[in-house]
Amino acid sequence: MHRHSFRSPLLTSLIAAAVMTLSVGALAATAAEPADEREAPDRTELMVGLGFIPSVQFAQFYLAEEAGYYEDAGLDVTFQNKIDPELITLLAQGSVDVGMADGTSLIPAVSQGIPVVYGATIYSRFPNVVFAPSSAGVGAVADLAGKSVGIPGRYGSSWIMLQALLASAGMSLDDVEVVTYPDFGQGVAVAQGQVDAATGFVNNEPIQLEREGVKVDILRVDDVAPLPGPGLVVGTRTLEAKTDALRAFTKATLRAMEDIAADPQLGLDATFARVPELAGDPETQLAILEATIDAWMGEHALGQGLGGVDRDAWQSALDIMTALPDSVVASPITVDQLITDALQP
Amino acid sequence: MSAPLARPASEPSSTRTNAPPAKRVLRDVVPVAAAAAAFVLIWQLVVLVGSYPEFILPGPLVVAARFVSGWTEGVIGPHFLTTLSEVLLGLALGGVAGIVTGILLARSRLAARMLSPYIVAAQATPILALAPLIALWFGTGLASRMLICALICFFPIAVGTMVGIRSVDPRLVELGRSLRATRWQRLGRIEVPSALPQILGGLRIGVTLAVVGAIVAEWAGGDQGLGVLINLSRGSMFDIPLMFATLFTIALLGVALYLMVVAIERRLVRTRT
Repeated sequence: MHRHSFRSPLLTSLIAAAVMTLSVGALAATAAEPADEREAPDRTELMVGLGFIPSVQFAQFYLAEEAGYYEDAGLDVTFQNKIDPELITLLAQGSVDVGMADGTSLIPAVSQGIPVVYGATIYSRFPNVVFAPSSAGVGAVADLAGKSVGIPGRYGSSWIMLQALLASAGMSLDDVEVVTYPDFGQGVAVAQGQVDAATGFVNNEPIQLEREGVKVDILRVDDVAPLPGPGLVVGTRTLEAKTDALRAFTKATLRAMEDIAADPQLGLDATFARVPELAGDPETQLAILEATIDAWMGEHALGQGLGGVDRDAWQSALDIMTALPDSVVASPITVDQLITDALQP
Repeated sequence: MSAPLARPASEPSSTRTNAPPAKRVLRDVVPVAAAAAAFVLIWQLVVLVGSYPEFILPGPLVVAARFVSGWTEGVIGPHFLTTLSEVLLGLALGGVAGIVTGILLARSRLAARMLSPYIVAAQATPILALAPLIALWFGTGLASRMLICALICFFPIAVGTMVGIRSVDPRLVELGRSLRATRWQRLGRIEVPSALPQILGGLRIGVTLAVVGAIVAEWAGGDQGLGVLINLSRGSMFDIPLMFATLFTIALLGVALYLMVVAIERRLVRTRT
């Protein structure tokens, strides 16, 4: 005789729910280990988050490591490659001690209460630009009207930059045709004529296009609306725990930047030692590095020195991003919440 | 005097559906609700005990509030409608193709020998790897996303149909022949109705896979949809409660579509019995 039991399905459901939730909790727990200050016998360990893939764009970090600047500063540095949104969360958690990120990520993150701050400028000029073959006739922002623009996605630095650029000319996204390339193939799309223009990094896609013999026009947002370029970002908890180490890291990195600006070959050699695959095309890597150095040397850097933070530019960026339609600034914040002077040498 | 007839060991379905409403609620709804309540309680406890900040693991009340505000502020709605349209169109395309292919595989040994390896190979290839290629070939518009959804739900529906058609009692088919039913009449009036439980079983699996397909397709290229909203909330807005609310919306969509198929199955199959 089949006996219906109310308890059996209920108990089974409760056990299943408990197992599910504990699994989620365990996963979150392993992902959110606090960052304690781990001291090797002589050196402080730092996990450094760089961009998506190893690149000559990070030559200053490679040189500082290869030349022993970090070791001299009492640091034991490990590099990790992560995309910007993941890096912000890892910095806030403390899993990564210091990383590179720009204002288009930091401002939304801080407005959501994520505890990160910006401590030193690396790129004094915003590196994300709109580029097009000269034949497309996009010499000014107004020329984008009616054109198709390739973009990785409707999020991130290129999305914010494009909106700010268009707004500077009294235009909006309705005035252009946005085509998304989630595989970051917008540079290839421009080369093949699939789109008239595209967003990209001034030290990447335009360089690749020019080396293929295509003359390129570049529209820079910091000519019309300053956005803070990528710099050193830390979690506030890590900053409290490792202030001296992070300041020493900043100083060593800025020293390497000065060395490379004076002699780019030093940056190339350090990069090739670190990422041998890039040595296959030294001319292209040199072109990328020179464009990178140019992006380091914006007006503020030339006037105040490398690493200094332009608070006026940050305020301007905050105002721009708050005013954008579908703004990603979730709650009002101030520049003081975004920036710390603790990393300045 | 004859002994009373013993009640069958398993109750027929008509007895289960004819139970009093209070008993049906107790049997069908209360366990699910209790499990959900326990899950929410344990989730909240984990957040409190672990002191997790919102950007790591927001609590259920925070997510619930963001879910409500996400809908009332019009953030989630447009993305939901886009994903829903992709799922329904993809399911229609994949469902029709799956049923037709399943019938073909069941009725033609040659077709089964020719097509089966390629169908299995297509199913074994991760849709996450195929989606960017499809977006490259067909663009990032609705057509490619619908195709990706159709591809992912095609296999279970085709297999369910094939198994169902092959399982039809041959005596019924023979009866149809003896009554001079044409091939199409035998298919439409005997074989497909007999195979309905298996076809709808494949559709149950297919409908949840179609939701997965829509999200993957949106990640491969799309301007709108719940998959796009996940990327926006995580990578642009850093609004983790909104990301969780979007995940919850996706889960609700999958459950709702699944229950819809179950309801259709109960109606169609119960009508037959």
